[in-house]
Amino acid sequence: MIWWVMLSFATVVLVAVTALWLYTFKTRDVSRTPAQERRVARRWIVGGGIVLPVVTVIALLAFGVPTGKRMLTLPLDEPPEVIEVTGHQWWWEVRYPGAPNGVVVTSNQLIMPAGEPVDFHVTAADVIHGFWIPRLGGKIDMLPGRINRIRLEADEPGVFGAQCAELCGVGHAHMHLYVEALPREEFDAWLAARSEEALAELATSDPAFASARENFTTFCASCHRVAGVSAGTIGPDLSDLGGRTMLGAGTLAMEEGAVYQWLRHHQTLKPGNRMPQHDDLDTDTLSGLGDWLETLTP
Amino acid sequence: MTSINREATPQDPQQPEGAQTLHDDLHEIWGNPRGIKALTIVNHTTLGLRFMVTGMVFFVIGGVLSMLIRTQLATPDQNFMTPDIYSQVTTMHGTVMMFLFAIPILEGLAIYLIPKMIGARDLVCPRLTSLGYFCYLFGGIILSFSMVLEMAPDAGWFMYTPLSSSEYSPGLGSDFWLLGITFVEISALSAGVEIVVSILRTRTQGMALHKMPIFAWYILAMALMIVVGFPPLILGSVLLELERAVGMPFFEVAGGGDPLLWQHLFWLFGHPEVYIIFLPAAGIVSTLIPVFAGRPLVGYGWVVFAIVVTGFISFGLWVHHMFTVGIPQLAQAFFSAASMLVAIPTAIQVFVWLATLWLGKPRFKLPMLWILGFLIIFVCGGLTGVMLALVPFNWQVHDTHFVVAHMHYVLVGGMFFPLMAGLYYWLPLFSGRMPSETIGRWGFWLTFLGFNGTFLIMHWTGLLGMPRRIYTYEAGNGWEIFNLLSSISGFVMSAGIAMVLIDIALHFKFGKPAQHNPWKADTLEWANAMPPSAYNFVSLPKIDTRHPLWDNPDLPRTMAEGKHGLAVTSHGRREMWGTDSITGKVREIIHLPGNSWWPFFAALALAVVCVSLLTRVYALAGVFVIIAGVFLLRWSWENGAHPKAAPDAEVRKGDPPLHSRTMSGPGVWAMATFSIANGSFFLSYLFGWFYLWTVSPQWRMPEVSPLSLVVLVAAGVAMTLGAGVMERLVRGLRVNQDRGLARGFYMSALLGAAQVGLVLWSLLTAGLEPTRTSHDAVLLVGLVYALFHGALAMILSAMQGLRVRHGYVGLHAPFEPAVVVILWRYNVVTFWVLVGALGVLPRVIGG
Repeated sequence: MIWWVMLSFATVVLVAVTALWLYTFKTRDVSRTPAQERRVARRWIVGGGIVLPVVTVIALLAFGVPTGKRMLTLPLDEPPEVIEVTGHQWWWEVRYPGAPNGVVVTSNQLIMPAGEPVDFHVTAADVIHGFWIPRLGGKIDMLPGRINRIRLEADEPGVFGAQCAELCGVGHAHMHLYVEALPREEFDAWLAARSEEALAELATSDPAFASARENFTTFCASCHRVAGVSAGTIGPDLSDLGGRTMLGAGTLAMEEGAVYQWLRHHQTLKPGNRMPQHDDLDTDTLSGLGDWLETLTP
Repeated sequence: MTSINREATPQDPQQPEGAQTLHDDLHEIWGNPRGIKALTIVNHTTLGLRFMVTGMVFFVIGGVLSMLIRTQLATPDQNFMTPDIYSQVTTMHGTVMMFLFAIPILEGLAIYLIPKMIGARDLVCPRLTSLGYFCYLFGGIILSFSMVLEMAPDAGWFMYTPLSSSEYSPGLGSDFWLLGITFVEISALSAGVEIVVSILRTRTQGMALHKMPIFAWYILAMALMIVVGFPPLILGSVLLELERAVGMPFFEVAGGGDPLLWQHLFWLFGHPEVYIIFLPAAGIVSTLIPVFAGRPLVGYGWVVFAIVVTGFISFGLWVHHMFTVGIPQLAQAFFSAASMLVAIPTAIQVFVWLATLWLGKPRFKLPMLWILGFLIIFVCGGLTGVMLALVPFNWQVHDTHFVVAHMHYVLVGGMFFPLMAGLYYWLPLFSGRMPSETIGRWGFWLTFLGFNGTFLIMHWTGLLGMPRRIYTYEAGNGWEIFNLLSSISGFVMSAGIAMVLIDIALHFKFGKPAQHNPWKADTLEWANAMPPSAYNFVSLPKIDTRHPLWDNPDLPRTMAEGKHGLAVTSHGRREMWGTDSITGKVREIIHLPGNSWWPFFAALALAVVCVSLLTRVYALAGVFVIIAGVFLLRWSWENGAHPKAAPDAEVRKGDPPLHSRTMSGPGVWAMATFSIANGSFFLSYLFGWFYLWTVSPQWRMPEVSPLSLVVLVAAGVAMTLGAGVMERLVRGLRVNQDRGLARGFYMSALLGAAQVGLVLWSLLTAGLEPTRTSHDAVLLVGLVYALFHGALAMILSAMQGLRVRHGYVGLHAPFEPAVVVILWRYNVVTFWVLVGALGVLPRVIGG
């Protein structure tokens, strides 16, 4: 709606200015005394050069300042949910420090409660990244060594796209973030399902994947964490990988066999990403790992 | 029309017999050498053309890069370029267009036109023009060469650290950028300084500030903004290169630095830079419109006011590029309001142009077509700019192709179209020939339609959510058709520009000879021969109107006949007027140096420094820094009463003295202007120190300052005494008193040496660990700055002593000490501020 208003306004202005400009080229025979000329000129300059921009600027400020204020993390009567987001080359680490059963960690997906303000504390682990969920507003830089805060609110439950908004290197184009706002109860349930215990239970309970777990410990554990299995922090936390909608920070949709595809071809799918290519591992090992990780759906 | 040295009498031996003899004699003095010696040319006409041609070559390179981008994005899932190469291409497209095309070509235009417009024969520091050109050329070649090596910078044209740091950009790409751009900026600064001084001190007789062509006002503002605006980026580049090369952690959080410092320094330069590009372009518009409307510009005073206001506001706006880094809301509101204030001076100019057309009788010639294109595109860019300023809308489209489209509307509309209008307008002056109106119109329409096809559609692609800076995209988003259309239109635009370039190239050979002053313009550049002679004007007129050629159509003829000032050649000097900065009253005769190898050699030595820093052969770099210094000093040796400058100070009766025989000539002004640039560098440094101290997240201030205050104060006292000696000598020269002159210079050099020694001592005993903490690194940079300036003042004073012995400086030529003393004053002020900031304040306030 606002877009159409602006578009028509802009078109009118553009056409008017161009028409005016072209009109001046029409031969007119108006003779004016110097005093008249000065008066005409002053009218143009004061009207168009001062009054017009001043009025526009005031209108813009009146419109823009109140909206900007909403995003400040001023104290609220009821402290809002805090979500910590850290940008890495080229993935997102998302933490919920306020979860009732201890901190919940996930990657490349941001699930938030709808209908209430949420405070985001954002930072970066390496270079500068940009945190920005266009539909919710407010873009803020993620700076190494610094925590920036922003308050956002999703009025309705829904899925929103987001992408890193600051050039961060070769993988910048492949740094999407899946954002979903859930009703409060669903959000609480989502958090509860990701308690350390629940996730560890999920990862270790099925004996059919014993060898996959072993391979994971050998080949993946130094970088990746899976609750109850490993504690690596260099790459994304994989404890609830199967439950995500996308792989590789939005590179690949999570379907059956997607993890295997990723493990096999990730340097083609997302060129330059920091994970080493595992050409030394045979198909069975990789698909075994993939099958297991896809079961991690809390 | 009176002129003060033209009381032509038959017995006057220097009175030329005819205009042709005079012309030949002037040509003898001013003419350009050919062959290899063309490298020694210092003439502004030649160098201005070289700047513009080189700028056009880089424009073509930048254009080819943009074609590569459009090819890659034409269809989804393209493998034409890898993401790595794509980053290099986009980074270089921005860098080349900004630093190697837009700024230099506008400088070139100013270098070419300004002396002609203000009735001078050359810029005031001709050798500096030459140095600037070669620095630009060599820097540009070095930077472009990185693409051949596939090692081009790839961290974006703004080089945000830590992405550009050695950790995340380990290759040479960022080094190419930092060193190459700094090298090119020597050129921008040289041009900035000499254009300021030329406009303020060499306007022809009677051309008071308020009678100056409006274009000169725009260029004056541009030059001053370069002088103030470029040093922060030079400092930032030096610091970042130090961090990359030797590991001083200015921007690295763990070492106590802060990546945001880079952003501040970059945008302190980067925002004014937008106006450095826009102002001269607007100057072209303000020059052309009155000519084609056939009446004076309406509201000259309003426009001057708008220019000055734009210049000031633009320095208060840098933070608006950093709204998203998390700065306080109050600061954000302030900078928001300031950003919008810029709309006022811009709107004033737009309506001045409209009113001028309204009140005149406009003619629609080819240059006006480009102005019309400018108007439409620029207004469109302004409107999308307002949309972007609306915060909620900004959220929707920020960092999408909408922004790319907006930016190109502003930059191409605001700079390229006026530039093209200007080129077509002044082309007859450059060559004496008219370009083809038919090819020109074809070129315009292809460019105009191609441009809008590319970028108007790109707005839509952005609204559909296509982000910036992605090297490819998947099919199925609905972006395909728009991207394809953009790419096709991009090639149409290229065809248009190619046509324009071919038209321009061909017209030099095949164009119809132009008649004199083909557009019936009002300003003095059209009183030149077409193409102009090396000395511009046979005689320099007295001006008492803003529109000399309208009010006195006979002026070009009488000027060419030598009926005005300085039509004297017997002395063999290159001469022009030095006039009062405000009133335009003649104060002295400026004699300009002739062609010289020194600028070329100095630039070459600096290029070797640049390349050896790139290849990390630091010893070689050190040697060539010294060699470059020696060349520059050797260059300065040919001044004053030196046989190659003005050994003989005879002037005709009634003429003012030569500037080297006065004490307030252009050198003093140049030194003062350069001190502004230097001061901007120094203030940026202080800003960095206090910024890191107060804001950097892991700043560590040692309990006890490692600097010995006693030693520093002793150094300061020595330097202040040295400056005192210099002041006394200069005061003496002013009252015709030169007792102990040489001894005095040596004395101040000795005191300077004492200061340098003491600073060096405090540096060596401080035990700094500049690679461990940013605190120590910042101290080191400050002390090295003081050392460099102390040493420079010492050397220059010692040289003055030598020059007195040679008879190049003295009561008969007292000019240079007045220049050198400015450096001493600058040093005294900055050194004490430095002692206070680095030595005293930490002790008073503590960490």
